Amino acid sequence: MMQEVERGLRLAGTRIVDSIAALLPGALVLLVVLVVALVAAVSVRYLVVRSLRGLELERRLEPLGFRVADWGPSRGPAETAGSLAFWTILAIGLLLGLTALDAALPSRFALAVLQYVPHLAAALVILIAGGVLARFLATAVLIGAVNAGVQQARLLSLAVKWLVLIVAAAMALDHIGIGRTVLLLAFGILFGGVVLAAALAVGLGARDAVGRAIERQLHAPAHDDKLDHV
Amino acid sequence: MVSTGSSSSAPTPAPEGGAAEIVVGLLSHQHAGTVADVARAVRDGLARHFPARASRIVLADDGSADETVARAREALAGADLLEISAHRAATPLELPYHGMPGKARALHAILTRARALEARVCLVLDAGVTTVSPQWLPWLARPVLEHSVDLVSPYYDRHPYEGALTKALVAPVLRALYAVRLRQPAAAEFACSGRLAEWLLEEDIWQREGAQVGIDLWLTSAAAAGDFRLAEASLGIRTSAPRAEEALDLATTLAQVVGSLFADVEARVGVWQRRRGSVAVPLFGEPAGGAPVHDVTLDAERLIESYRLGYRELRDLWTWILPARTIVELGRLVSAPPVGFRLDDELWARIVYDFALGYRLRVLPRDHLLRSLVPLYLGWLASYVLQVRDVGAGAVDERLDQLGAAFEAQKSYLIARWRWPERLRT
Repeated sequence: MMQEVERGLRLAGTRIVDSIAALLPGALVLLVVLVVALVAAVSVRYLVVRSLRGLELERRLEPLGFRVADWGPSRGPAETAGSLAFWTILAIGLLLGLTALDAALPSRFALAVLQYVPHLAAALVILIAGGVLARFLATAVLIGAVNAGVQQARLLSLAVKWLVLIVAAAMALDHIGIGRTVLLLAFGILFGGVVLAAALAVGLGARDAVGRAIERQLHAPAHDDKLDHV
Repeated sequence: MVSTGSSSSAPTPAPEGGAAEIVVGLLSHQHAGTVADVARAVRDGLARHFPARASRIVLADDGSADETVARAREALAGADLLEISAHRAATPLELPYHGMPGKARALHAILTRARALEARVCLVLDAGVTTVSPQWLPWLARPVLEHSVDLVSPYYDRHPYEGALTKALVAPVLRALYAVRLRQPAAAEFACSGRLAEWLLEEDIWQREGAQVGIDLWLTSAAAAGDFRLAEASLGIRTSAPRAEEALDLATTLAQVVGSLFADVEARVGVWQRRRGSVAVPLFGEPAGGAPVHDVTLDAERLIESYRLGYRELRDLWTWILPARTIVELGRLVSAPPVGFRLDDELWARIVYDFALGYRLRVLPRDHLLRSLVPLYLGWLASYVLQVRDVGAGAVDERLDQLGAAFEAQKSYLIARWRWPERLRT
């Protein structure tokens, strides 16, 4: 009886030691990967912040509408980009480290997340590019509309800005595969509705004004009848 | 078009392979309707006023697809005076305000030919001008040949409102920065000495970005920035043949002209920071004062409305360029009654200088910055129209002289801001 118990305890102990022995290299690799990722993350954050400050990113972004005040009291765009890079590298390091543990669930999770990262990064780039483009186009439309004497210049500019932002958001969400069908349908209905509404508004409400505008274009006065500003 | 129609008289051609004392360059681009008359006027002018001087006519054609070159050859048939320097026109996204897509290349070809022929004077005329007369040649060339002038800039009789952008901005800035009082510095026609032609060819203006648009202005500013003698020639009235293409809108024209000016200001900072005051340049040719070629009416109230709309919608954008004090002063103008609408000269000068600095610092995309100046310019134009609409030509000149003086007085403001741009918004 005692021998049975002793053998059972020995076997259990051996299993525990074996499990620990099997886990130890993986844990050690996880630790090493985490330390390397931490060092890499700190270095990349330092480089990103330094280079973006050198490029005077804040000054260049401000005219495009990305004001320093929007980034919080102590964070500029350079620091934010640095932090983003830091946490991204650290998260990738953690996921890579988890695969070293050779545990089925964490490994599958890590692989799934890692496969998703490029899509997330692309979606982020689409969103940022959309934001910059929206602000640029909104400013261009605002100035152009003011110079053309359009009283509702700001409304036009806002419409362009939100149109570009919505398109960018739809593209980003489509890229990461969230609600693809619903999104496409909603966007199609919304965009089609806006165009139809605008066409009806112009066709019914401003038919005469549009006619006069086309008439003016077709019978524009000769060049030398206009004031030569130069 | 003033043309004698004479074909019997002929100027003295330069000997084969020899030097020509006078080189006349004709710039053409789709000018089949006018080039023959201009060529005949040039030929008559050379024959009548410079019969003893060897001369050469050079046609620099900028890729005309019509019969421009053929008609020029026909007009000067048998004279053996015409040299053709044809270039394929560039295809820019936007046509330059002067209508010649490859103007810098064409001008470079003329000056290069003048240098090769060891010309004492090189005249440049636009083949699209319908009022060129033989008399233009001595008025442009004699200051160079007889008075050792290096650059003769034309001075045309114009309606007080015509050339408003040049009057409001280009001429005053050049006056303040380079200390010369040229009234129409961006004109297409000019005459230059051989010395200046050689110097211009060595300048970096030909390769600069935007050279095809800004070359007229840059040639003048290059001469003004160098050690050269400048003069004006009063040529009377200048009208151009209507262009086939649609005229550019004001915002594009302003962006091109003012962009060229600001690019030059940025490039010559070492020169203009050392210049002080300004001097009047001698005037040759017929005294100005002829009747304007056509009447121009401008509705000051509409211009003021454009300014008000601009202030309402673009004020936030202007805060990136103009200091708070200027924005406040512009705000006061919005509520001013149309009759009392006056944009102070010194305020206008500071606005222009702040835009030049904003252009240099790229506080906004440059095209946005330049186009956002339009409502402010229209505000200045409204103020100017209200001040000069009931006065004579003398009073208009006096008014423009005051404006130039204001730009000179505010030059220290520009220099201070240029040196310490971190104080831009204070």
